[in-house]
Amino acid sequence: MFNKVLIANRGEIAVRILRACRELGMETVAVYSEADRQALHVRLADEAYLLGPAPSRESYLRSDKIIEIAKKSGAGAIHPGYGFLGERADFAQAVLDEGLAFIGPKPSAIAAMGDKGVARATVAAAGVPVVPGTEGEGGLSNDELLKIAPEIGFPLLVKATAGGGGKGMREVHNLQEMPLLLQSARREAESAFGDGNVYLEKLVEGARHIEIQILADEHGNVIHLGERECSLQRRHQKLLEEAPSPFIGDDEELRQRIGQVAVRAAQSVSYVNAGTIEFLVDRDKNFFFLEMNTRLQVEHPITEAVTGVDIVKEQIRIARGRTLSITQEDVQMNGWAIECRVNAEDPYNNFMPSTGRITHLILPTGPGVRVDTGVFPGFEISPYYDSLISKLIVFGQTRAEAILRMRRALEEYKIVGVRTNIPFHQKLMDSHRFMAGQFDTQFVEKRFDMETSGQARKPIPEIAAIFATLVAHENTERSTHVIQRNERDTSNWKWLGRWERLHR
Amino acid sequence: MKYITTINEHEYLVDILDDHRVVVNGVCYVVDFESVSGQPVFSLLVDGKSYEAYVYESDSDLEVLVNGALYTAAVVDEREHRLRSAFGSGPVQSGEFYLKAPMPGLVIDIPVEDGQKIGEGDVLLILESMKMQNELKAPRAGVVSRVRVKVGENVERRQTLLSVI
Repeated sequence: MFNKVLIANRGEIAVRILRACRELGMETVAVYSEADRQALHVRLADEAYLLGPAPSRESYLRSDKIIEIAKKSGAGAIHPGYGFLGERADFAQAVLDEGLAFIGPKPSAIAAMGDKGVARATVAAAGVPVVPGTEGEGGLSNDELLKIAPEIGFPLLVKATAGGGGKGMREVHNLQEMPLLLQSARREAESAFGDGNVYLEKLVEGARHIEIQILADEHGNVIHLGERECSLQRRHQKLLEEAPSPFIGDDEELRQRIGQVAVRAAQSVSYVNAGTIEFLVDRDKNFFFLEMNTRLQVEHPITEAVTGVDIVKEQIRIARGRTLSITQEDVQMNGWAIECRVNAEDPYNNFMPSTGRITHLILPTGPGVRVDTGVFPGFEISPYYDSLISKLIVFGQTRAEAILRMRRALEEYKIVGVRTNIPFHQKLMDSHRFMAGQFDTQFVEKRFDMETSGQARKPIPEIAAIFATLVAHENTERSTHVIQRNERDTSNWKWLGRWERLHR
Repeated sequence: MKYITTINEHEYLVDILDDHRVVVNGVCYVVDFESVSGQPVFSLLVDGKSYEAYVYESDSDLEVLVNGALYTAAVVDEREHRLRSAFGSGPVQSGEFYLKAPMPGLVIDIPVEDGQKIGEGDVLLILESMKMQNELKAPRAGVVSRVRVKVGENVERRQTLLSVI
């Protein structure tokens, strides 16, 4: 059994996993790219080893090097985190082949769920409802997809077979625009996952994205930790998650029904470790299997907040061959948790990624607030990796308390050096539809606007005018000072002396 | 010192009397203004009320992020304002448009070429940054001139990628 864990990741999730290891008394090994020498995960780990240059392909995706480092440092297990090697069956297999433990599911389960086509066919066979689409067939050509599309019906989604995180995904509304969208989806999938295969799925309109957290051990115990509401997305990237879902609310019967279906889906691939089953839920509370994420999710902390279960610690426990520390009967959802993903993106400029050095940072603290992050003042946000810089999680007794607490925490949060989407989250917290829990997966893109949403706050243009004028005024004064100082840099006698020496 | 400050197309006459008194459109406020440890975060007390803002400087404007809202501000002093109105101002809608990289990244595709006619909203270039592909579009119709980068090239923030005339 292992007592030293290599964390094959970076950023906030590497720090999160490190923390769990620390609390379990395990030693930690970090790996890093040249861009991350000063990163928090490197500084917090017991040991740290360089992987290579900044681009992921030359560093965090170098599975051979990572395994080599694990063996050299004496780490008995590897935790992949999410992204990078998080859902790569070949990597998991290579880890096992070297006699190391992989903190995650078996390679066969990753492969079965990783190919979205196979996943849909497998769970459908186990009696789990799926969204209509191209079933169980990977690697269809554009011509074949164009032929099948009208049978499924528009609007539909083109999705990357190896996909996740909205990459390589396109919404298609008619046959005419489909060839171009297929091309761009394949291109993006190819660059993100090294696999340009895509499949089609019907777009369920007015749907909510609700997912179930699963834990399974090697002894046949499979439990669910309730749901997470993840409908607030932009370009299929989650921006805010909450647990429980306001749509399920106190419908305990529905919660248990979805939970049991999720457990069945996990069992259909003999799943072990932590995983998440994503469902689309329509207005009439019909739910369809979307996909399974065979790894730790970004948004796992909200489930931890409402259930009190430390998911990463359970993952390690499971990988050590032990039984789950809890049974289904022990799982109770208490209170309400919300997570805002703080991304280096400018919400006033079409969410363009923003890069730069963080010069000043104040993290929110106080009752019911948790911040998972890997950044600090002086840290450089580079264009090489994901734009997620931190996750702000709040917990309240009720949803209302959680929302008010999130508003308070967002106000406290100060990041200088890069633009962030914090103003977007503030607007969202003020929006009446969010407060009422009336939103679906289209809400952010179709019915939310930085200019008009969030009417709760009174505009204060006079105050903005004072700020702007005082800053401009100070700038003018400073520039005149500078010119004056340069004129009288040194005394004229000294200057003459230097001049004479120069011409000697 | 008197300034004309335009916030979201609305003009304010701001007169800075001294370090602690500012008159906005004839109303005098007692203010206390501090830059928080030399950063673009500013703290302002106005008649006892506390506000905190980020003030970003862009090419000609200031962007003020306060109380969860972004205000675009243009500040000119009174003399400059008089000069501008005398000569008739306003940016002229002509000349070359330079497409600049909004962030550092990798050029994935350039679907246009030199001399090509394009319409407003056409995709000029696809730039990948932070694992997302961003389509950079034409703000107006015109003709592509001088594509300065190649597919596969890494570009810096604000680097000129191509121009439209």
